[in-house]
Amino acid sequence: MSDVIWIPLSDLAHGRSGDKGDAFNIGLIAHQKNWIELLENAVTPELLGEWYGDSVSGLISVWPMPGIGAINCLLRGGLGGGGTTSLMLDAQGKIWGQSILRMRVPVNKKRATELGVTLDNHSEDQWDLSHLC
Amino acid sequence: MGLAVRKSNVPVLGDEPIRIGSGGGFWGDRPLAPLDLLKSDDLDYLMIDYLAELTLSIMTKQKRRAPSSGWATDLELWLAAGGIHTLRKKSVKLVTNAGGANPESCARMVLEQANKIGWHECKVAVISGDDILPRLDYLLENGEEFAHFESGEKISENGAEMMSANAYLGAGPIASALEIGADIIITGRVADASLLVGCMLHSAGWAHNAFQLGLTRESPVADWAPENVRNPLDILAQWTVAGHLIECGAQVSGGNYSNWGDVPNLATLTLPIAEIYSDGVVKITRGQGGGGMVNRGIVAEQLVYEIGDPAAYITPDVVVDMRNITLEDESEDMVVVTGAIGKPEPESLKVSAAIEGGWFAASSLLVSGPDALGRATACDAALRGRLSALEELEIYTEFIGGGVSLPENIRQRVSSTLNPPEVLLRWAVSSTNKQDITDFSREVAPLVLTGPAGVGGYGARPKPRRQLQFWPSLISRKSIEPFVRVELLTHLRITQESERFHFIRKRTRGILSRLQDELDDREWTRPIVKKLGWESNDADAEVTNLQEKEVES
Repeated sequence: MSDVIWIPLSDLAHGRSGDKGDAFNIGLIAHQKNWIELLENAVTPELLGEWYGDSVSGLISVWPMPGIGAINCLLRGGLGGGGTTSLMLDAQGKIWGQSILRMRVPVNKKRATELGVTLDNHSEDQWDLSHLC
Repeated sequence: MGLAVRKSNVPVLGDEPIRIGSGGGFWGDRPLAPLDLLKSDDLDYLMIDYLAELTLSIMTKQKRRAPSSGWATDLELWLAAGGIHTLRKKSVKLVTNAGGANPESCARMVLEQANKIGWHECKVAVISGDDILPRLDYLLENGEEFAHFESGEKISENGAEMMSANAYLGAGPIASALEIGADIIITGRVADASLLVGCMLHSAGWAHNAFQLGLTRESPVADWAPENVRNPLDILAQWTVAGHLIECGAQVSGGNYSNWGDVPNLATLTLPIAEIYSDGVVKITRGQGGGGMVNRGIVAEQLVYEIGDPAAYITPDVVVDMRNITLEDESEDMVVVTGAIGKPEPESLKVSAAIEGGWFAASSLLVSGPDALGRATACDAALRGRLSALEELEIYTEFIGGGVSLPENIRQRVSSTLNPPEVLLRWAVSSTNKQDITDFSREVAPLVLTGPAGVGGYGARPKPRRQLQFWPSLISRKSIEPFVRVELLTHLRITQESERFHFIRKRTRGILSRLQDELDDREWTRPIVKKLGWESNDADAEVTNLQEKEVES
């Protein structure tokens, strides 16, 4: 069995999102400050790219904010032109900070157990999306 | 040299913190909420940010249609509902960007409200100069390119006409307005957090010190700090963070919180208050008496709201490094914020502009029954088929209830397992051709009769609307800051008995001499504008002169 298991992001962090032109940002805050190491390792630009696929066309950046145990993600080209020209109902990207909490993220099982992270909803498979249905 | 115009009711930062409340997060937020906060709590200042990224484009359009409009009318709602009285009674200074595209008209409304309740000595400051549309040609000729933030495209390459263009001003003009005794400050575009920083530059004595040192209003505000302030940039950074945290209203007092189930009574959510201490420590709390909550998690969510690189949160006043900010729950509904690091102010200011886009409309239908998603898909296909001849028409379909809050590729992965009982089918369309939009609007309701079964919820045909395209860019400070104006509106109130009247009689020209004819035995009031500047180190003399140099409004 692999050391890495996949848990819903909501078991690791909470978040908020908003728009910046055609980009949106998602700030993710670890439920406990010392879980930041898991959050930083788990949520990478690559992982976000896999989750958003073609829905985000530009560069994805992730920056740590260790003081509050958080990371900030900026996803460019994700709002269909942004603010006023977007045809999306949520043209300001307000919902993404919550909907992403259902994304599965990889954590080291041993370390996550040590840190007291809930693993009740874990899966061996990144694309086990049964919790969405 | 002292500053003679400093008023005794100035909130001064000492052992007690300065308390600054936030009245809401945007034009459209709960309009009367500022009243509740003013009544329930003791504040030194109330700040309200009414301007989202494109609010000014809309206001500019309004002003073009009606010259006295183009400002956030919600301000009038709560001032008229008792707000102006409470501001006066409790000596709370109001600082807001409600002026939008027309700060002077907004300020006149405020002055009128004050006059109605007999507050004749109320002084309303107008800060303008953010609107660069009138100077656009000059700026372009002098090397400003307005290169788009994201694409790098220059505005001249695009060729589109700018509908509005406003530079983000900093805290300096707000502080100088407070310094000359303003009770209420109405601005156009000012960086959100600078609303609070301006209050602090005043209350912490920085602006007063700058006067004494003979610094210009355009000088970096970090240089305004008195000598005993060891880390002015970090203090500015802390103030900026405080402004950032409360500028979205209740988002830091329990609204829009991930753990929404924990927040007591969203119905009576109170607004936030920032308490600022002399060492730069910031505490976030909230108004008394209603629902809501302030804790570390909530403040953290607002700290990360709409930011980019946390190492460089840029405002006109300072560049803030947020990475080492820490948050601590001090007590119930009280979070301590420390650790912001400041770097010198940026060389450029941000400009928010809008250019005219194409035409737009949106409409929706409700689809239900077995295989609602399949029916909605068929309905969408029918609409698209009927409009297929319109080559310029872009149609964007959302199947709400069918996973629109998931990215497209995730939605596809789960589509076989989704079986919602109903779907809200929503179309948004755009085109450069207005007629395309009209054609679309005529094809929606017929689907109730001519689509699959189970389709309902149609409304009136949506009207085509013009889109505005956001155009953010940078501009050099020297193209903006020398053109910023701080003016004070107040009422001239004169009776025949007053000494002032005899002084005025000596004057031979202008509105004040005509007054002699109009003045009967009753008092006479009318709004006037006092031009006030801070251009030289002879600030006292200038203010005194200007106090006597009333000009016709």
